[in-house]
Parts: sequence; C-alpha cells; structure tokens
Amino acid sequence: MNPLAAAIVALWPYALAFVVGAAVPRRQGKGERFAIGLSAVLGVAFLRGLWPGAEAPSEPSIEWPHLLNVIVFLPILGAIAVLFLPRQAPRLLKRFSMAVLLVDFVISLWLLGAPMTEGWHFQYIAEWLPSFGIRYHVAIDGVSLWLVLLTTLSSPLALYVSFGSIQKRTKELCFSFLLLHGAMLGAFVALDLFLFYLFWELVLVPMILIIGIWGGVEKIKAAYKFFLYTMAGSMLMLAAILYLVWSFKQVEGYYTFDYLALRRLVLPDTAAWLCFAGFAIAFLIKVPMWPFHTWLPDAHVQAPTGGSVILAAVMLKLGTYGYLRFCMSLFEGPAWQAGATLAWIALLGGVVYGALCAWRQADIKRLVAYSSVAHLGFVMLGLFSATRSGIEGALLQMVNHGVSTGALFILVGVVYDRRHTRMASEYGGLAKVMPIYAALFVLFTMASIGVPGTNGFVGEYMVIMSTIVSQALGRWATSQAAVAAAGVILAAVYMLSVVQKVFFGPLDNPKNKSLTDVNSREAVALAPLVVMVFIIGFFPKLLLDRMHDSVTGVVGRYVDGRLAYQDHRGRVDTVLEPLLGGPTEAGYPQRPAAPTAPSEAPSVAAILPGAGLEGAP
Amino acid sequence: MNLLFALSPLLAVAGGALLLMLAEALGRPAVAEGINAEGLVTDAGAGRAPELAVGSSVVLFCGAIFSIGVWLYGPEKLSGLDAVAPYFIVDRFSLFFSFVVCLGGALATLLGGGYLPEHSIDRTEFFSLVLWASVGAIALSAAGDLLTLFVGLETMSLGVYCMIALRRGSLKASEAALKYFLLGSFAAAVQLFGAGLLYGATGHTDLAGIGKAIRTIGEAGSTVSAPMVLVAMVMSIVGLAFKVGAVPFHMWTPDAYEGAPTPTTTYMAVALKSAAFAILMRVLVLSFGDDRLLSWGTGWPPIVATLAILSMTLGNVVAGRQDSVKRMLAYSSIAHAGYALVGVAAILGSDQAEPSVSFYLLTYTVSTAGAFGALILCGSRGREAVSYEDLAGVGRRHPAAALAFSLFLLSLAGVPPAAGFFGKLYIFTAATEAGLYWLTVLGLLNSAIGAYYYLRVMVYMYMREPVPGAPVAVPMKSSMVNAALIIAAFAVALLGIFPTQALQLAATALP
Repeated sequence: MNPLAAAIVALWPYALAFVVGAAVPRRQGKGERFAIGLSAVLGVAFLRGLWPGAEAPSEPSIEWPHLLNVIVFLPILGAIAVLFLPRQAPRLLKRFSMAVLLVDFVISLWLLGAPMTEGWHFQYIAEWLPSFGIRYHVAIDGVSLWLVLLTTLSSPLALYVSFGSIQKRTKELCFSFLLLHGAMLGAFVALDLFLFYLFWELVLVPMILIIGIWGGVEKIKAAYKFFLYTMAGSMLMLAAILYLVWSFKQVEGYYTFDYLALRRLVLPDTAAWLCFAGFAIAFLIKVPMWPFHTWLPDAHVQAPTGGSVILAAVMLKLGTYGYLRFCMSLFEGPAWQAGATLAWIALLGGVVYGALCAWRQADIKRLVAYSSVAHLGFVMLGLFSATRSGIEGALLQMVNHGVSTGALFILVGVVYDRRHTRMASEYGGLAKVMPIYAALFVLFTMASIGVPGTNGFVGEYMVIMSTIVSQALGRWATSQAAVAAAGVILAAVYMLSVVQKVFFGPLDNPKNKSLTDVNSREAVALAPLVVMVFIIGFFPKLLLDRMHDSVTGVVGRYVDGRLAYQDHRGRVDTVLEPLLGGPTEAGYPQRPAAPTAPSEAPSVAAILPGAGLEGAP
Repeated sequence: MNLLFALSPLLAVAGGALLLMLAEALGRPAVAEGINAEGLVTDAGAGRAPELAVGSSVVLFCGAIFSIGVWLYGPEKLSGLDAVAPYFIVDRFSLFFSFVVCLGGALATLLGGGYLPEHSIDRTEFFSLVLWASVGAIALSAAGDLLTLFVGLETMSLGVYCMIALRRGSLKASEAALKYFLLGSFAAAVQLFGAGLLYGATGHTDLAGIGKAIRTIGEAGSTVSAPMVLVAMVMSIVGLAFKVGAVPFHMWTPDAYEGAPTPTTTYMAVALKSAAFAILMRVLVLSFGDDRLLSWGTGWPPIVATLAILSMTLGNVVAGRQDSVKRMLAYSSIAHAGYALVGVAAILGSDQAEPSVSFYLLTYTVSTAGAFGALILCGSRGREAVSYEDLAGVGRRHPAAALAFSLFLLSLAGVPPAAGFFGKLYIFTAATEAGLYWLTVLGLLNSAIGAYYYLRVMVYMYMREPVPGAPVAVPMKSSMVNAALIIAAFAVALLGIFPTQALQLAATALP
C-alpha cells in the first residue's frame, strides 16, 4: 500500500465525521454544511488527541518555547490589524477575525501534545523592566492548560454567534473580541505578578465596550457597575502586590515581581492577612461570590449574547483561577484559616442563595446569570476543600460551567433574536415549533444540573465527595457537603421549572406559532459544546490526567506553606522571616548582577592612585 | 562658554521670547486694524497666531533639546558654574524639570496656535507670555536661593495671570483671572513671609545654607530658633501648595481652569504644576532635610501626607460630580497633585521617591496636555466642547479624535500599559517602601474612583448618541493641534512601553 493510501486510511475517523457532519443536517447551504463537517472533524481530532493510551504522549516532548507567545499575541496583533481594515467591508472584518481565532484554537491544541508533568511547560522568559525586576514570564501547567483551551474554544463560538445578532459597528466588535481574547489568555499564562495585573486590567476595556456599545437598555449602568467593582478590587490587589515585592526586597535585596520568587515569602501575620484580603477581594469580586455578586446579573442581562458567553465561560474563571493560583500559594496560612468560613459563604451565599434567586427570576437570561453564581459557588467550595480531588473537581467544574452555561446563553440568545423578549411567561409549548432547539436546551439543562453522563455530574460529584473528607474545612465538612448536595437539588428545581414553562404545556401565545428552529449558524456554534458535554461526561479522565501532577504539587505546597506559617506565627516578633524552600525551579529570577559604574563617570576606586597595582613588586 | 552651555535652556527660551516679541510688535499685521467681532480694537499681531505659534513652539522645543543636551553631557563636568551656583543650580534635577516645562509649554503653544484663531481670540501676546512664563518656570525649578525662587515664581505667575484673561469680552475669564491673581498674590505673600522668617532665623538666603544652619539646632552655640524655623517651613509649604493646587489651597483651580482659554489651562496644569513640584521638593530636601524635619513625628511628611490625602480624595470625588469636562479635568489635576504629593511624602524613607515624582510629572504632563488637546480638537468656533453631552457620539462621528482622547484618559486613569500607569506604579512603590502603606491603599482606591469619571467621557463618546436637536460639537481642523496630539500620544505610548529608560533619566536627577 502506498503511503498516500495509508494516510487516507489512517484518517478515516475524520473523513467519517466530516461526511456525517455535512450530510445529516437538513436544509443547509454548501458552506454551512462544510463548516458543520469541519467542526465535527475538530471534535474527533480533539477526542483522539486526548484518548488515554492511544496517542497521549508519555515521553517528554520538545516544547517550542514561543508557543504561548504565539497563542497570546496572535489575537492581540490581530486586533491591531483590524484597526487598519476598512470599516465598509464587514465581511472581510468578520472573516479575518474568525480566521485569527480559529488559527489560535488550532495552535492551542498543540498544548495537548505535552505530557503535563509537574512543573512548568512551554515556559518563556524575557527581561522587560530589569530595574524593577519585572519580567515577561509565561508558562502553563495542568491548572491553566484547560482554562487556556476553554478560552480558545469559547471565543470563536462567541464571536460567531455575535455575527448573527449584531450588525452595527462590526469593526469595533472584532477589535474588542480579539483584544479580549488575547488579554484573557495572557492572564491565564502569566507568571509574573506585574504581567498578570497588566492582562487582568486589559481584559476590562474591551469587555466594557462590548457591554456598553451592543448591550441592552440599561447597558451603561451595567458597564459602570462592572468596571467599578472590578477596578476597586484590582486596586487593592495592586497594593498587595507592591507590598509583596517590597517585602521580598527586604529579605533578598532585589526587586522581583515573579510568582515563583514571591511565593517563597512568609509574611508577618497581620501583613499576610491584609495582603490575602487584597488579593481575595479582587478575585472574589470577579468570581463573583456573595456579597460582591450584584454586578453579575446586570452585566449578563445587558451584555449581548456573545459578551455573555465570554463573560460566563471565561471571565468568571479568571477569579477562580486567580484564587487558586495566587491566594492559595502566596498566602497559605490566611487562605487555610479563612477557607472554612469562606466555604460557608460560597455555600449559603452562592449555591443556596444563587439558586433561590435564580428560581424567582422571570427573565430567562437573569436566571442563567444567577445559576452562574450557584455554579461558581461549587467551584469555590472545591478550592476551599483543598484536597486533590476537590481542586481537580473545581477545575473540571470551571470547564463544565464554561461549556454548559455558555451554551445556555447562546440558547437564550436564539429566542431573544426571534422574539426580543426573555420573559419566561411569554413562551410556552415551544417544543412543538422548535423541536431541535428544545432538545438542545434540555440537554444543556441536564448538563447544568449535573445529570450522570453529562459533564456537570463529574465535577459536582468530586467536589461534594472531597468536601466530606476535607481537612481544611474542619468539623463542619460533613454538614457543608450536605448543603452542597441540597444545592444540586435546587439547581434541578430552577432549571427544570423554566424548561417546563418555556417548552411544554400549551402553545397559547400566537406570536410563538411561527418561530423557526435553530439556524445553521446557531447549530454550528452549539455543536462543539454538545460534543464537549459528552466527552467530559463519559471520559473525565482525559482532562483529569493532565491536571493530576500539577494539582498534587499545588496541594502539597499549600499544606507545607500553611505549616510553615503556623510555625512562624507563634513568635513575638513581626520581622520578616526567611524564605520557604530553595530557588530550584526553572525560571526562578536570579539576583541581578551588581550595577556597573557608568562609563562616563569612573568610580572612585578606579582613579585612586595604586588601583590595579596589586601584586606589583 | 561652559556657563553659556549650562544656562542654554533658559537663555534659548528667553532669547526666543525677545525675538518673538519684536516679531510680533514690528511685523506687518495680517489683517487691517479695526474693530473685531467682539467690538474691540484688533491687535497688531491679529491673524498671525499660526506663525507665532510655530515660532514659539520651536523655541520651546529648542529649550527642551538643550536641556537634554546638557543632561547628556553631564552638568557636573561643566566648570565655571560657581558664578551662578548658589542662585541657580544646574544639575540633572533642574534639567529634567526644564525639559518637562519646555515640553509642556511647547504642547500648549501648539494647541494655542489652533485654538486662538478658531475661537477668534486675536491675542497673539499669548505666545510671548507662554515663553516668559516658561523662563520663570525654568528659573523656579533651578532656584537654589530664596530670591531666585521668588523671582521665578512671580515671573511665572504674572505671565499666567495675563494668559487667563486673554478673552477680554468674557466675564468668566475676567473672574477667573482676578480670582487667581488675588489668591496668588496672597499665597506669594505667605511664601515671602516664610522666606523672611527663614532668613531671620538662619541668616542665609540660599537653600543649602539654610539647611546647614537648621542642622545646627540643638548643638551648643546655635543661634537658630526652632519655632521660627517650623513656622517658616509651614508657610513655605503653604505658599508652594497653592501653586501646586493641593487641597485646601485649591479654591482657585476649578474657576481659573474653566475660565481660561484651554491652551492656558493646559499650560497651568502641566508646566506650572511641574515647576512648583520641582521647587517644593528642592526646598523640602535641601532646606528642611535634616533628621528631625524629615521624620514622621516632628517634620513635614505628615503635613504633606495630609495634603496628599485631602487632594486625592476631594479632587476625585468632586471631579466625579462635574458636568463640564473641562472642570472635571481641573479637579482631576488636583487629584493628580495628590498622587504626586504621596511621592513627596515618601521621601521620608525611599530613595525612589524623588525620581518617581519626577517621572510621574513627565507622564502627567504628556497625558494632560493630550487630554486638553483632544478636548480642543472636539470643538470648533462657537461650538466648543465643554460638557459631557457635547461629546456624545464623537466616537462614531470622529473616530480619530475619540481614539486619541481615550488614550490620554486611559493614561490618566492609570490603566496599564499606558504611561500614567507606570507613573502611579512608581509613586506607590516608593510609598510602600517608605512604609506608608495606608497612603498607598488610599491612593489606589482613589484611582478606582478616578477611573469612573475618565470612563464616563469614553462612555459618552462611544456609547451615547446626542439628543436629537441638541447642538453638536463639530471637531475643528488644525494641523497644529493634530501635531501636538501626535507628539503627546507618541510620548504616552513610548513611556508606557519603555518606562525604565525614562525613570533612569529621572533617577539620576536627584536634587
């Protein structure tokens, strides 16, 4: 058999997926069939790339150091390029931005090629502002890998959906989405606190534009609220970062903003608590956790569909990721002690209160927004439990929430585009006129509730199980697990009640009689998410395997750091303590060389008589 | 020769000012003498604003280039400076500030070259006034003696008083000028009184000599009276805080900024403020820099910190409540003075404090000049953009003007990676280093408040449409305003991407 034929035979699953994807949908055009087939191929490629044992790499592979740079800066450069494209050519703008995002997605699949052993992968370091110890330092591990992939998957879908409902100011739309995409990716991979802060703030600007320009009636109020909440939090975080950097200089004698260096610090008790508070408030606002959650329903309801998808799928994860990455490894002691209390807040304020709020909403989009508060409560509970399976469950739940809630926002957008109302009472019996739509909605509802076989089940199960055995949560762990389990039931109550109201019962509103089912654009955007629901639901090991080593490391450091903190705590003095562990990690910032005297001003020693004459007879 | 070279920034600006005055007085008027639209007799220089603007901006850019030249050559290598040494200090600190003053002045004259003809203010003395005020400002930032200080301060202020009152027909401008003049004279008197007390107490008029005498307090045989020094110190701070525009000595700022023609406002906000900060730091460090006065318990840091907190908080809170963008920028300049004062208070315990304030003023100069310039660009004759409503929909109708405005506002708000963010970062790093954590936290929370009103401008430009039938601001067309905006935008981007190099320039400029 010649190699060409062999290659064709080897590619049969892709070919089959393409044919099935392209042939099955009814009433589609050629281009749309092609796109559906292509997304089926991508789904299969994704599945095969992850299949345990089949092609999962076990040998350390060669990691191209610029890969993360390409992934982060391709969309940012694309955003700049969009500025120079003509405003009068919306088709060109749309195709260009979609191409950039899809290429970025394909490139990011390369990350799956590396075995996620403990430590940092695809690390890239460059000096940026040496006098302040600021470096460009990016790397990923098993924690950030899935969030990066979630981002590169969600952004093209969100932008593609937006093109369906937004026709005005396409240029600004493309610019905002590309910039937002690059900034979010940057925040997930940055390991220099300065770089992280920079990307964290950069995310704000395009998101405000998206809410404020293409949003609903109250868009400006929502944009202000979103901006001010986040800005207040991030300013406190900046103050804490500056304090950390200064403390590090006190101990080691040089400036650095590097995460690897700063996490070795053991701060005095009060300072540790204040800095923890600065970081934690910034992240908990973003998550958002009660009582900082009030910006979220407004922002979600007012944002256009694509903006809501990005907001739910990725941006909220910046908060949970930040808490895991920074709060839990820079301030282990306070994080451990506060964890038990914060877990109650996550449960009662998030899981229970969010669910009750969602239940009472008449607006479907607002309901989904409050359900985010509830789901993120689960994620935070998993993080607070500080066990390996709890954190893995939380990470999995982050991806799950991105998939199922992102899809639900797209689905709400579908009926909104047709009827321009989101009130559940306006609908009823939609299953009769929109069968495919109803099936998809029920599917994602099941995923959101956590029915076994869908993605939501695995994450919630892991979180609840590890809550019971958690050391960190102390004696209330069992009752917290009970409340969390009750939260799952509440999720079923509010989601199923809206499904019942909207899709079943009599079709008595005459305006609903002529509604058309999902069109090809919406189907293409939803197809990858349907695939993801089942991939994660049936094969969670694919994701968990790759986070395993990194999460073990995170938990190990967390427990060690907390013990060290307790050792230091008993002392009377509040002087800064020496550092934890040794600077053995790759990429640890080295002490800078002593500054050399400027050439035009020779140092005193050089012009003293006798200098350089040592050893002369 | 060395001396000429060392003084070249000052001499270039002064010589240019003389030439320009001659050119303005003797040149042929472009329009015949007569009665203009305001019913006033036209000037000799009427209609020649553009050429004079180009001339004066060239002079000021020359001043800036000379400052850099001397800076690079190294003022410590110039002999012969002793002739002027106690009165006029040529060091890297003063050269850095003469660069900032010249840059701010050059941007203001470029803006003036577009603004004055557009709004038919045929007052070409604006340009020579800017030049003479800049001479005062350069002398002020290089002053090493109470006499030079006062002469520089008054030269600068007198020029600015006149520049505010340029629009003769406007009651608002006259009120602004009068208010500033009366309060300014009062502050100058307080400053002068303080200087007199200092001389009485120490027997010196040069700042270094005063500092030396103050250090002897408590030693045997010292004749310096400590209470008198303390009173003099408070009076000096009050006098300079007035020029800086710090709360509670800010009462003149909003009215003067709003009533003045916008290029004058730009000049006041950038050049005047930078020079005042330079001399404030110089006086505090050289004269009041001994261990007792530079301490939290018995010295000036708590006074400066209080001024900083009041300025930041009041400036930001009140700026958020304004309806006029110009007035909002005035209050925001008060808030920015507060941030810079945080850095001044941090001199207490950080080597980084002085360079961070210098760098902050540089970033503030380019961002503020750019913001006022963009505001000028958004309006045209009879339809000057003043309120937020005027800016509604500018983002759609005039994307370039809106983009430039947004860039400068983001820089002022301190959103990374614009220049203003690094300015704030360095200031607050220095404050943290000095142990003033609460000042850092307050300052950062204040920037979050500040972000609100900067964002509000962007919201109006991009997300609102004008009310149907309401008068719409039509952007003017002026190559000079465009040039100023391009220079400022370039500087904002450059300082944001390569902040270290500029900070190092500032860091070697210790007084």
